[in-house]
Amino acid sequence: MATGNYGTIRPADVSVDDVEIFYSYTPNRELLTDVELIPLDPAEVLVPANNPDNNTEIFGGLYTLQLPTSVFGSKGFFNIIIRPKQIRTTIQDCSILVDNQDVKGIVFDINQIPEDLKSRFENGNLVGYRVEYLKEESGTGQDKIQNLFRIITSNNRALPISQNQGNSNASVAYTFNDNSTSVFCTVTPSSAPSIKPNATPFIGNPQQDVILTNTFFDPVMLEIEMVEFDDETLAYALFSNQTKSLEDGIYTIYNFGNQIYRQYNLYEVKDQFSGKPLYEVREQKFNIDPTKDFDEITNF
Amino acid sequence: MEYIRKKINLENYTVRAIPKSVLVKNSEGKTVINTDSPNYYYGTIPQYKIDSEGNFKLNPFGQKIVNTIDVSLFLTQKFDDMGLFTDAPYTFSTQTTPKPPNFNSFTYGRLAGAPLNYYYANNSFFSGNTDDSFLKQVSSYRKTNTGQDIYVPNLNTSSDQKNTFDGVIYDDSDKTVYKIGANSSNVNDTGIEFTTFKNIFEKTTDEFGKSYNFKKTIFSSTLGGWNEYNTSLNAIYKKEEYLGVVFKPEVESVVFINRGIADIFERHAILSEIKTTNDIDTNRGGFIRI
Repeated sequence: MATGNYGTIRPADVSVDDVEIFYSYTPNRELLTDVELIPLDPAEVLVPANNPDNNTEIFGGLYTLQLPTSVFGSKGFFNIIIRPKQIRTTIQDCSILVDNQDVKGIVFDINQIPEDLKSRFENGNLVGYRVEYLKEESGTGQDKIQNLFRIITSNNRALPISQNQGNSNASVAYTFNDNSTSVFCTVTPSSAPSIKPNATPFIGNPQQDVILTNTFFDPVMLEIEMVEFDDETLAYALFSNQTKSLEDGIYTIYNFGNQIYRQYNLYEVKDQFSGKPLYEVREQKFNIDPTKDFDEITNF
Repeated sequence: MEYIRKKINLENYTVRAIPKSVLVKNSEGKTVINTDSPNYYYGTIPQYKIDSEGNFKLNPFGQKIVNTIDVSLFLTQKFDDMGLFTDAPYTFSTQTTPKPPNFNSFTYGRLAGAPLNYYYANNSFFSGNTDDSFLKQVSSYRKTNTGQDIYVPNLNTSSDQKNTFDGVIYDDSDKTVYKIGANSSNVNDTGIEFTTFKNIFEKTTDEFGKSYNFKKTIFSSTLGGWNEYNTSLNAIYKKEEYLGVVFKPEVESVVFINRGIADIFERHAILSEIKTTNDIDTNRGGFIRI
């Protein structure tokens, strides 16, 4: 056995530029419509914590999700997915290295990458990225090839070199060259599957669309249930201050800060002919009576 | 993927304050709320943060502050060592990239067009304490009447005196200053400088628990860091057969197979391809050996 290899779980210190956030909303669990995922700008809602000893140094691991109340201020269920950012591009070529022809790889064109993401394609920066493949024929059902991915193990700028193969044939292999805008990526697994040792492994085809995803952190899904009541609000009804105005029958429940939490009209329903009381009613009052301020009532 | 469930009470974000400024008298002379007032937010969750009077809170730039529901979470990254990589030569870019501000080779990696000297971080000063074991190496063979070694400044005790200077550069009754491994043609700026204090002794114990004394010695140099003598740039790529292999396996008597994805069938599947002993010698880059 080889010895010395290691693995661990570390607090992620990923930049918000490498994060994608989506959410979906449903007012209850019984809704049957399809889930609609809506993107959120991570730069606006995800804030990394800084080291208390150095406020320009990320603490690592701890992030605060600042959900705007304009979106998340409704009662119901919000599913929030935080995942590594995806880069969509096309495989320019699939080939081998000139100097080591048993090393296969896929080639990307840096010029196809958006300007703000090009730095990810510099030498060595794609190591650890996951490659997922899209079907080459669109409109054939699911566009993504499911359950298939590769991990990039190295990437270097590389230049294609034509190799004469005899009989008027030639093929292309790549050599590392920093003047090139092509990036040669080795991926794993690129050797034959263990149960088919002679099989040719699939690592992609030229002109095939792929999704590159960083692995800077493990994705997280939050299910946030927004509710109107919890133990504390129920405790208002039991333990907080209350007033009942005998003049107009307004019953007021205050929160623990003596702010008006709920108001009710208390009245009786009587028989219109005999005057016999039929019901005692407590009906929620939505037009708050501000004169029932607890501090003013008890300030005597 | 980690799945986190949280329950958040919207009441914690709901305004329950009724500012005095929103109270008005109606036609009956009774105090009521002017629900049309811009400062009236009772029972709602405002989009921007407000104070108790219903006015917007502003940040130092005079902008309204978005009201948010904050949720803390802890992001982690799980990783495994991929093992050995392979160095390869590459063609250097004909265009030199301007050196980015605060260039850090760990952040930028092998940046295309970045010459090797971008990666230098040299002439750093370092120092520390050690024992006086090197002092004997720079003593002359003469001794005083009391049997003490005599240290002669500028006496080169190196076995390669043409290239290397090992010797004392200063000596007095308190200390001996000497260099080890200096370049003979530039003694001042090269080598590790040691200073052994003759009258200060320190005590320690060896690996067997036996205590012994030595003269306090400090060492220092300004030659630390990365320079042209310990730095090189290579294209680094990954050979599949080295996935997860940290050190090259040293196997002499058993068949060794390491293919990254290992399962119980792998060993038999690969062995089934081996027909001759030559196959074993040449197969899988020398990973299979007898």
